[in-house]
This record gives sequence, structure tokens and C-alpha cells, in this order.
Amino acid sequence: MNKSKLFIYLFLVLLFLVVRASAQSADSLLNTLDNSKKFNKVESTFKATHIVLSHSTETQKKHDLDLRIRHHFGDIGGEFGSAHTLYGLDVATDLFIGLDYGVSDKLTIGFGRSKHDELLDLYIKQKLIEQQKDGGLPFNLTFLAQVGLVAREPFASTEFANYSDRLTYLIQPIISRKFSSRISLQVMPSYLIRSVSAEPNDPNNLFSVGFAGRFKLTKRLSFVADYTLINGLSRKENLVTPLYNPLGVGLEIETGGHIFSLNFMNSEFITENNFIANTKKSWTEGGVRFGFTISRNFSLFKSKNKDPNTKSTIY
Amino acid sequence: MISIKNSKYLLLVLFYFAFIYAASAQTFVGKNIKVNIFSSTPVEDIKAASSSGAAVLIAQKQELAVQVNIKSLEFDKKLMQEHFNENYMESDKYPTAKFKGIISPKIDWTKDGEYNVTAKGTLNVHGEDQVRSITGKLSIKNGVVNLYSSFDVACAAHQIKIPSLVFTKIAEVIKVTIQGTLNPLNK
Repeated sequence: MNKSKLFIYLFLVLLFLVVRASAQSADSLLNTLDNSKKFNKVESTFKATHIVLSHSTETQKKHDLDLRIRHHFGDIGGEFGSAHTLYGLDVATDLFIGLDYGVSDKLTIGFGRSKHDELLDLYIKQKLIEQQKDGGLPFNLTFLAQVGLVAREPFASTEFANYSDRLTYLIQPIISRKFSSRISLQVMPSYLIRSVSAEPNDPNNLFSVGFAGRFKLTKRLSFVADYTLINGLSRKENLVTPLYNPLGVGLEIETGGHIFSLNFMNSEFITENNFIANTKKSWTEGGVRFGFTISRNFSLFKSKNKDPNTKSTIY
Repeated sequence: MISIKNSKYLLLVLFYFAFIYAASAQTFVGKNIKVNIFSSTPVEDIKAASSSGAAVLIAQKQELAVQVNIKSLEFDKKLMQEHFNENYMESDKYPTAKFKGIISPKIDWTKDGEYNVTAKGTLNVHGEDQVRSITGKLSIKNGVVNLYSSFDVACAAHQIKIPSLVFTKIAEVIKVTIQGTLNPLNK
């Protein structure tokens, strides 16, 4: 009796298992084949490699070349603005032309030239960590190193006593996170190394912390902003010429390969080596100006792809 | 010592194992299904491919399910791939495209042969379900199933919007090709 009871019990358990086995649906089997872990990289934290003034954590795609033209106009209000200068549009405080090239999907080298100081800059930007969904790493980390060379003639015979006085260096780890498809935020501590500063009170080497964000209004239109905190960190307050923290806000329009940005900012200058150290205008005293960025992406070495399954053709 | 009564139970247990074996032998799975997409306009032809689609075929029920991770589709231009994921497919929100349906006519899965089949079911792309009847080819050889199908997916049917403010032209109907091998599932 005990034995048969055991068998009945066993049979019922097995019957339950067989029902489960036959009820095994295509869905649950598909789930066991799930390979989404391999493809859980969070992409497009930012649309462009730059936000308003600052770099973003994005790099160029492999073999893509980005031609970037940026312009900052003059003061909208205040002493130098108003109708006499068509609210600053008569003035070009800074102009920038640069090329960024993606050596790989994670490594970009860039070269640019600014009007202010005839600054030539060269940078490398390396993606180190990429944000992942579902338990992966929760943020992006990109490292930026930039060297700037002031190419203009010295204003005074003593200005560049050594040639190396023309050089400035920027080291900046950039940390960002895409919180949702609409909101991305970024923080970038940076260290700017200068041989000389404008005033004896102003330290040669400046530590700053930048904050930036994107809010997508539509799929192709984003509100972007960045702010760099310098005053109150390593810089003293009692400078003869007051210097301000740069704040930029902008609208970024993406049209597939092109990115247009319409920006407003208090910084006259475009490159980090200039704007972190030398922003002399303030948002509160009419020093805000209009600026724009045009970025056009070119894919180089397209013909290298021989795979007929992915080869795209432009007629 | 086993009585006649007990050996009956034993027989039932053996029958159970035979049944479970038969059931599992008639399930086929494929892990490296090739999925290609093709958009053709007078301006530009765009292609993308993935070889990490997954497929499950439950022979008894003639049930077929195919799934592909959108981010696994690779483009020639990586920027195009990013736009595809972010602007069109919203793959962070809708990570997969999936078809699930019933194959007709009835097939003897133990016999080698080639069949023209129709699968009736639901195609889910961009989070939108569409009831579809998709034709394809099935071939069975040495217990291995080969699957091939080519069909059109209309962007509008799946709420994939193509904005007017785009320089690269994308077709309103995308051709999708699925091809792969399904092996019997080993328990």
C-alpha cells in the first residue's frame, strides 16, 4: 500500500512535469535564446560631439570626418550691443573651423583653429566606458586631452619669452548618463595648465567643473545647456578685470549627417583653452551673445566595406 | 520484488519519458538566424544585416517564432545605424522585432523535403502588432530545418515616422529577409 501510494505520488509529479513540458511555448524558448545582453549598450547620450561650448562624451564614428564651423557674435545688450551693432551681429568675437576624425568608434582626433589668439588646437578624445542597460555600467566616461598653441604675434616683446609660453593644456574626464530617451546629463571636471595668466592674482593652473545637459523636445530637436564653474574653485574673486563662469544654452537640430546649433552664451570664445580661463562677459550685463554651430559629417573609406549585405549605395 | 500492479506504474513512467523525449525532439531552435533589411529609393539603397536572430519552431503545434534584436542590425555607416536605432526604431524602448505565427500546411517534420509555407500570425515591430500572413520556404534535411522568407514591412503600419527634415531618403516600405538553420532542441 505504501509503495503504490509512492508511485501514485510520483506519477502525479511526473504528470505535472509533462504538462509543463508540453505547455512550453515558443515564447519561453525564445527567452532562453535571448541575447539582448550583447546589445544593451546605451547609444546617443548626446547627438553631437559638443554640447554648447563643451565637449560631450560622444566621439566620431570610425572613419567619419566632421567639419565643424562655429561662430560667436558680439554682445546683444550693454555698451557694445544694441541697434548700433545689430545686437552683436556686426561683431565676430570668435570664429572656429575644425575637423574631427574617428580613428575608431571610440577614439577621435581633432584639429581646429580659432580667431581669438589665432589659437590652434589639437585634441584626442577616447571613450573609456559606455553606459549599458540592465545591470551594466550606469554611465559613460570619455577622456579628453587638448593642447592649444597661441599662434598670433606677441602684443609686447616680453609676452612670449619662451615659445612654450604659447602653449596651454587641458585635461578633462567627461562623465555622462542618459537617464531616459529625453534626458541626458553630464559632468566634466577639468584641469587647464597655462604658462602665464592675465593677472598675477589669477593662478596659472585652473581647476574647473562643468555641467551639461540635453533635453530632447522632439526626435530631432533638443534643448542643450552647459555651465562651467571656475570662480570660487581655484580662482580668487578679487581680480582687476572680473572673469565669469561661462554658461551656454542652445537648440540643436539634427537632420541626419548635419547638426545645426543655435546658441546663446556669455563666453566670447569657443575653445576650452580660451573660454574656461578668459570669459569676461556676464549674462546679467548684456554680455550674452548669439552663436551657431554647423557640423557636417562625411563618411570616408566607404568603399572598404565589401559585404554585400550591408553595403549601401548612393546613386 | 515487483508485483504486476507496480510494474504497470513503471510502464507508465517509461511511457512518460518516451513522451517527453518525443515532445522535445520536435522542437527546433536557431540562434544565428540571418536577418537582412533593405531600403531602396531613387536616391540611395540602404542595407543592414544581423546574424543573431533567434527562432523557435514547435513542430507539433506548427508554431514558429522569430525574434531579432534591433541593435544587432549592422549598417555600413555607423552614424546611419545610430540614427536607425534612435530616430526610427527607438530601440531603447522597443529592443526587438518579433514574429509569431502558425505554419500551414501541415508538415511531417520527420521527413526530408522542401515546402512552400505560409505563416499566419503577428508581426511586432517598433512595439506595434500587425496581423500578417507571411510566405516562405522550409526545407528539412537530416532532421535540420532550414527557413527562408522575404517580405515587406511598411514603416507607417508600425508607426515608424520618417520626418520630412531628413537628407538621407528612406523607403516607406522596407524589405526584410530572414534565413537560417534550426536544429532539434537537445534536452
